[in-house]
Amino acid sequence: MDELVAAMTPVLWHVVRAYGHDREAAEDVVQATWLGFVRLHQTIEDPQAVASWLITSARRGAAAHARTARRAAPVQDETLHAVLPDEESAEALAMRGDEAARLWGAVASVDERCRKLLRVVAFLDRPDYHSLSRDLDMPVGSIGPTRARCLAKVRDALTKGGGR
Amino acid sequence: MTDKDAEQDVALLEELRDMWVTYDPPPPGLTAAMIAIVAAADLDEEWELLTLVSDSAHEPAAQVRGLSTARVLYFNAAAGWSLEAEIDGDQVKGQLLDHSGDMGSVEIALETSEGPSWTTGVDEVGFFALQADATGSVRFAVTIDGRVARSRWLDV
Repeated sequence: MDELVAAMTPVLWHVVRAYGHDREAAEDVVQATWLGFVRLHQTIEDPQAVASWLITSARRGAAAHARTARRAAPVQDETLHAVLPDEESAEALAMRGDEAARLWGAVASVDERCRKLLRVVAFLDRPDYHSLSRDLDMPVGSIGPTRARCLAKVRDALTKGGGR
Repeated sequence: MTDKDAEQDVALLEELRDMWVTYDPPPPGLTAAMIAIVAAADLDEEWELLTLVSDSAHEPAAQVRGLSTARVLYFNAAAGWSLEAEIDGDQVKGQLLDHSGDMGSVEIALETSEGPSWTTGVDEVGFFALQADATGSVRFAVTIDGRVARSRWLDV
């Protein structure tokens, strides 16, 4: 069981962060996901699907949290969280220099839907397009092409930012 | 989309993943805290980390082929490697695939719900073979570097 938690916690973290939550809120959502798992694990009929159950549950938690946060805080805050790296990350970026900063900037410049899709998909070994389609509100058939379009946008932004 | 485009997409997605992993990692104590939360609940279910992705018994072609009595199973592990296994009577053989680490540390076991189990290592390219009187419910347990990944129970 520890192995499952160790393997999945970082994945859930990135999935939740894809929704633009700050680090503290993301921790809360990840924790709520595991608490939900503890409470509901017996209802997971197919143990094969446990990873996708966890990811789906984290995505729902993240989406619900975003709705609550939107009511509670000015919209700009949420947008900024999504666009700006955290302070410690920004420092790390400055240390690392141009290339990583350009990549970060390129991702930040694409629309929220693309950013969210790419970050979620990047952390799934074998993406479950059916449950993704429900959560991201996209037809199953359009996820592959949308992913390609979003990557093209990032590539475009990189080119415009100079280099590549 | 050409193969080259697809390759470029995969490469860019990997770059993005690395970027997020490096610049926005989970807080240092998060995994340990989550392990503690789940451990405190004392769940006894064993969650499958070795996922069955194909089973010749469920393929219509198996009936057409007709010649082979072997049941061919293919599993993917959450860690990225795969296991191909063939059960033919009491002969069980197969190969561990896409594992880049030390093959010497790998153990493959066939476990039965009634208790008996058979264990073997793999050769340098991942091949294994064992003789097992496997009937009823069986599952594979693959140990790599001390970490065990078990499959679901399968009726043979």
